[in-house]
Amino acid sequence: MIKKRTAVMFIILTAVMILTLFMNLFTGSTDISFSDFMAALSGKENSASDILLKIRVPRALAALLLGGALALSGYLLQTFFHNPIAGPFVLGVSSGAKLVVAVTMIFSAGIFGSLSSAAMIVSAFVGSMISLGFVLLVSQKVKQMSMLVVCGVMTGYICSAVTDFLVTFADDTNIVNLHDWSMGTFSGTSMENIKLIFLFVLVSFIGSFLLSKPISAYMLGESYAKNMGVNIKLLRAALIVLSGLLSAAVTAFAGPVSFVGIAVPHIIRGLFRTSKPLVMIPACFMGGSIFCMLCDMIARTVFAPTELSISTVTAIFGAPVVIIIMLNRKRGEMNG
Amino acid sequence: MDNTLISAEKLSVGYGRKIIAEGIEFEVKQGEILTLIGPNGAGKSTVLKTLAGYLKKLSGDIVIDSENIEKISEKEMAKKLSVVLTERIRPELMSCREIVETGRYPYTGSFGLLSEADREIVEKAIETVSMEDFAEKDFGAVSDGQRQRVMLARAICQEPDILILDEPTSYLDIHHKIQFLEILRNLAKEKLIAVIMSMHELDFAEKISDYVLCIKSGKISLSGTPDKIFTSENIMELYDISEKLYHKYFG
Repeated sequence: MIKKRTAVMFIILTAVMILTLFMNLFTGSTDISFSDFMAALSGKENSASDILLKIRVPRALAALLLGGALALSGYLLQTFFHNPIAGPFVLGVSSGAKLVVAVTMIFSAGIFGSLSSAAMIVSAFVGSMISLGFVLLVSQKVKQMSMLVVCGVMTGYICSAVTDFLVTFADDTNIVNLHDWSMGTFSGTSMENIKLIFLFVLVSFIGSFLLSKPISAYMLGESYAKNMGVNIKLLRAALIVLSGLLSAAVTAFAGPVSFVGIAVPHIIRGLFRTSKPLVMIPACFMGGSIFCMLCDMIARTVFAPTELSISTVTAIFGAPVVIIIMLNRKRGEMNG
Repeated sequence: MDNTLISAEKLSVGYGRKIIAEGIEFEVKQGEILTLIGPNGAGKSTVLKTLAGYLKKLSGDIVIDSENIEKISEKEMAKKLSVVLTERIRPELMSCREIVETGRYPYTGSFGLLSEADREIVEKAIETVSMEDFAEKDFGAVSDGQRQRVMLARAICQEPDILILDEPTSYLDIHHKIQFLEILRNLAKEKLIAVIMSMHELDFAEKISDYVLCIKSGKISLSGTPDKIFTSENIMELYDISEKLYHKYFG
């Protein structure tokens, strides 16, 4: 039995998602007429084909897939820490991934030339796991959720500072892209990359979806979950690896993107008025897709031809949501 | 026929190497209620945690349904034994009914979807603890007494043979204490569940228990049926209360 509200919200999300995708493809620095647009999409060669298929389509798909991945990664981390303001960016996971990718890029540039996509993902994943490991160590010492986030943010700053330092002094022409990438952007993604991203995100998404049942028990706290027969250690490990994989994919291809991981699950929970993982996992993914596609559209059109970094836009819309959550929680605690 | 559901023999419990309580022995049959009483920090919770499988026993034996606890898998255990704990849960956006539904966890398929039969069991559990009035409310919005009934209904949904409760009535007012214990009593008698719980309310413990264990400084100082245990001498001894003070407050 599916609640009516859930069904309606899913239909709305799907519609908005398709609409945003089309808007993303249609808008840009070059005006394309609607007939050319449709013709190019259906495979006919015309003046719009190249712009559309080589630039806009991969970019929109990158925002769609990676945005969803970010929101899902945030949801998994929030579940893990029982903390609504946990997310790959505030916990320093994105920045850790960024640092390791930057280091790998710089050191391999001299030896192998530019880095393959797979190597980027692997180094981003290693970076994610190192910073998550650090956050886990801290979380055993400090039980307070706000302190955990402060530690995460500080870790993020340290990693970013080291990355900036490396970028500034690295003068190899092979890492020209590094600067753009380290600011966060969905541009410059090729169709080859999209295939890899799709595969990666799909596997992690299915993995997360299969965990819906144990996650629902885990939400009642570890003791009750254990009493229901959940293997807590296995579940916790799976949550960490999956969220690490998802945020690694994002960092490898788009650089660090802020606040999507916290803001989207919160908004989705409010819209669906439920926290059931079976609903939350697909809905967060869709919400993240929409959020990132809209933000990317703003990033490239508002001050065109100058582009904003994606994090600039996501922060403007995402950070206020975090403040609202913190305020609500304070009130909730006072009410007992 | 031996209808003992859970028993302990020469049981020592604790954390790591540190023994908190030792020499724990008892057996609980179908439909019986065993109550653990004793001062704070005597080791009651540690005993309950070990029985529920949260802590590994240090030595001795725990036998559940004529099987040693070590041989029972987590999944089997979830169908045999359920708990009501002292820790407070704060799930977001979950109705009381949804909390109760999580009790079906060990029986549902890989996505945790409830079957028609599961829903009936949930419905019965809701009736058993009379929470029909607030079943659809958010768990965060109901009173402590109501929450405790929700947690009990959740435990019932697991269809356990054994129910373990750690100070289930501590935060409740007298009306809700009586209501809760009455539900528990009926549950034990009708469903033949073995109940083990810890309690600080001696007057209620005396009325509800079939058997009482007094735990003091990590040992069973006394055990037996309520009529033997609840004498003023025993209580003064167990809780270190002087005769003068005892009579001032209880006499």
